[in-house]
Amino acid sequence: MKVFFEQYFDFNVMGEHFWEVFDAFLQNLLIWVVAAVLVLSWGLILAFLRQLPGKKFAPVRFLTIAYIDIFRAIPALIVILLISGGVPFLTFLPKDIRIPHWFGKPDPFWYGVAALLLVFGAYMAEVYRAGIEAVPRGQMEAARSLGMSHAQAMRHIVIPQAVTKVPAPMLNEMISLLKETTLVSFIAFGESVLVSREILAERLNSSALILTAFFFLIIILPMARVVDYLIKRNQLKITRGAHIEVG
Amino acid sequence: MADPMLRLRGVNKSFGQLEVLKGVDLDVQRGEVVCILGPSGSGKSTLLRCVNLLEPPEEGEIFLEGQDICRGPGSGTGESSWNLDFVRQRVGMVFQQFNLFPHKNALENVALAPERVLGRSREEARSKGTELLTRVGLADKLSEYPERLSGGQQQRVAIARALAMEPHVMLFDEVTSALDPELVKEVLDTMRELASEGMTMLVVTHEMGFAREVGDQVVFMDGGVIVEQGKPADVLDNPREARTKKFLGLVLEH
Repeated sequence: MKVFFEQYFDFNVMGEHFWEVFDAFLQNLLIWVVAAVLVLSWGLILAFLRQLPGKKFAPVRFLTIAYIDIFRAIPALIVILLISGGVPFLTFLPKDIRIPHWFGKPDPFWYGVAALLLVFGAYMAEVYRAGIEAVPRGQMEAARSLGMSHAQAMRHIVIPQAVTKVPAPMLNEMISLLKETTLVSFIAFGESVLVSREILAERLNSSALILTAFFFLIIILPMARVVDYLIKRNQLKITRGAHIEVG
Repeated sequence: MADPMLRLRGVNKSFGQLEVLKGVDLDVQRGEVVCILGPSGSGKSTLLRCVNLLEPPEEGEIFLEGQDICRGPGSGTGESSWNLDFVRQRVGMVFQQFNLFPHKNALENVALAPERVLGRSREEARSKGTELLTRVGLADKLSEYPERLSGGQQQRVAIARALAMEPHVMLFDEVTSALDPELVKEVLDTMRELASEGMTMLVVTHEMGFAREVGDQVVFMDGGVIVEQGKPADVLDNPREARTKKFLGLVLEH
């Protein structure tokens, strides 16, 4: 038991490497924020494409559904490895895209963002879709009967209502996204898990991993509480709505 | 004589195997109020939804102000084409479940489409919206959200919202059926007023009193066809067809 505590809860090791791990964790947060902004937009675009009506857009719907299904099925780690291993050799792309060093960040950072964007964009599209489908059909019909185009009806009527129904599942995806940023350690980007494992190799002690886990806990626990709050508030809204209809 | 406002010829509509409309012919003159009665499942609502192409018919012709709205690019798919714009700018619809936009207040509900679809300025759309809401008796509810309005008030907002597009024909799809009894009158009064101003109206309803008093024509539908039509007094008091008699007996008995 003593060995266990020394291996995982050595406060000297944690103290000595605190800022090192902290800085690396900030890299996780940075990947998270950049990817999250892109994921929220990309997911919305995918959800919109999936809802396009009529025969004319059938190919677009098919491709969108295929994309969503494929990227929900492939493990994020495999996508990260394939992108970092493959994109540099796509010689028809300009070098700035094959080996991106934008905003002073190394290419593994951007490969990681791209892979997480592809995967979580698909998840987020499903979250939005659930929201869109929760908006009663009559809303679209009323908007269309007032002469709005499908796109106008989506933009002004359906999507504003859909997004009020999705914060809780959306936040759950964001929590997953934050945790999955650690996968970028596999392509040698210096985020917190990579740095902790380097410390493990150097000191033969795992306490830095516990410290990293602790950082994640601090950020994610409040988010989990917010999810609970949102779910509860939404249920209140539903009961209140039902009450109005009855009386 | 000028073209009728609306002329339906042999309108057919199926949902999969289910034939909902089996060849409906109907003429509606300018300024006329036509009340459509019939048991549920008789195709009354589907007929209205065909007229504004929410459910485009599979067969038959619908002429709106002389213009065939079922032909032309995009017909049959219900998607963007000239006939859809032509129809939606001329035909307003009010629904059983109101379908107000819950994230917009009463005035925004009314002003949104004129601003976005007709390209009116915000001020213009809002002042017109205020005028319309005043007309339906809701001048003091402009900034209320739908969930804070009674069913009758919501339905009057929905009527104002449809009128804001300056339609030539209004479709009413069982607009009082979801209302508590004491709220029905305020909505019918609004419709009565609209009729007296000369609006062409197609009204699916179970309100016999309204049909008798306001209707110029009463149409009785059953099984996807028009069984009987004529002046309200003729159809309601002296029905010729057995099915009409049976239906009216069931409705009027209680």
